[in-house]
Amino acid sequence: MKQKLLFAVSLLALAMQVTPSPAQSPADLNDLQIAHVAYVADNIDIRYAHLALAISSNPAIHEFARTMIRDHTAVNEQALELLKKLEAKPQDNFLSKQLSENSVKLVDEMSQLRGAAFDRRYAENELAYHKAVNDLVGNTFIPNIENAEVKALFEAGLKIFKVHEHHAEMMVKAVSN
Amino acid sequence: MKRRFLLRRAAAAIAAAAFPLVPVWSGAAIAKRREHRVEIGDFEFSPAALEVSVGDTIIWVNHDITPHTATATDGSWDTGELANGAEARIAVTANTGSDYFCAFHPVMKALLAISKSATH
Repeated sequence: MKQKLLFAVSLLALAMQVTPSPAQSPADLNDLQIAHVAYVADNIDIRYAHLALAISSNPAIHEFARTMIRDHTAVNEQALELLKKLEAKPQDNFLSKQLSENSVKLVDEMSQLRGAAFDRRYAENELAYHKAVNDLVGNTFIPNIENAEVKALFEAGLKIFKVHEHHAEMMVKAVSN
Repeated sequence: MKRRFLLRRAAAAIAAAAFPLVPVWSGAAIAKRREHRVEIGDFEFSPAALEVSVGDTIIWVNHDITPHTATATDGSWDTGELANGAEARIAVTANTGSDYFCAFHPVMKALLAISKSATH
């Protein structure tokens, strides 16, 4: 189980250029910390999507980016409603901070690119990002979440993000031709 | 007596002329329009294949968190964006395209088996 967890964190690290700290494990996060990681991960993908709309002129990239904005915004709204219902506030933590810091570096990198180079980088990053997040959510977060409603939301979210992963695969093929 | 009889006959003749009777069971075909529901959930249209006839109405209802559309592949019709809980109606005509998908999530596909006849 620990090996699988380390693998999942490594995958996310690879996608997000996050250096996993041996002293802090995603499996140790509580429900509110997990919720905050998801909220930050959603907002990161929304930020990437806005960058894609600003830089790319590829229709496939634009369609995907608009879907990312719609879907991640919808999931975040559900998450915020649930937290309000539970009278809980999300908790910042080592993973959400690392994700945020490293997304800034990735935005900086992608914003230097133009044309086909940007499209390929954006598409490849979306695929890698969704694969890594889906692995973490499915194999680490969901099994560790204690609150049934939070777990149900994450399960619904995972279905959405698996569709995104498949859509990203199609997008990678489209921009590689 | 005779005068009353003649008056009755006249009244009957006038009524028959003003309100011609047509039996409702004449045997002529009667068009019957139906409503159909397509549920959108877990990124699927259910049912994925729906039999409809010209004149029918289809109602799509979105149960997912994320918005969806039902959009004809040939561009002939589109529900527009359906938020969680929203629904939209499309009337089936002779020009209604049969294949459709979600414009936001192209993996979601379904079809309408359209009968051109409006009779049942």
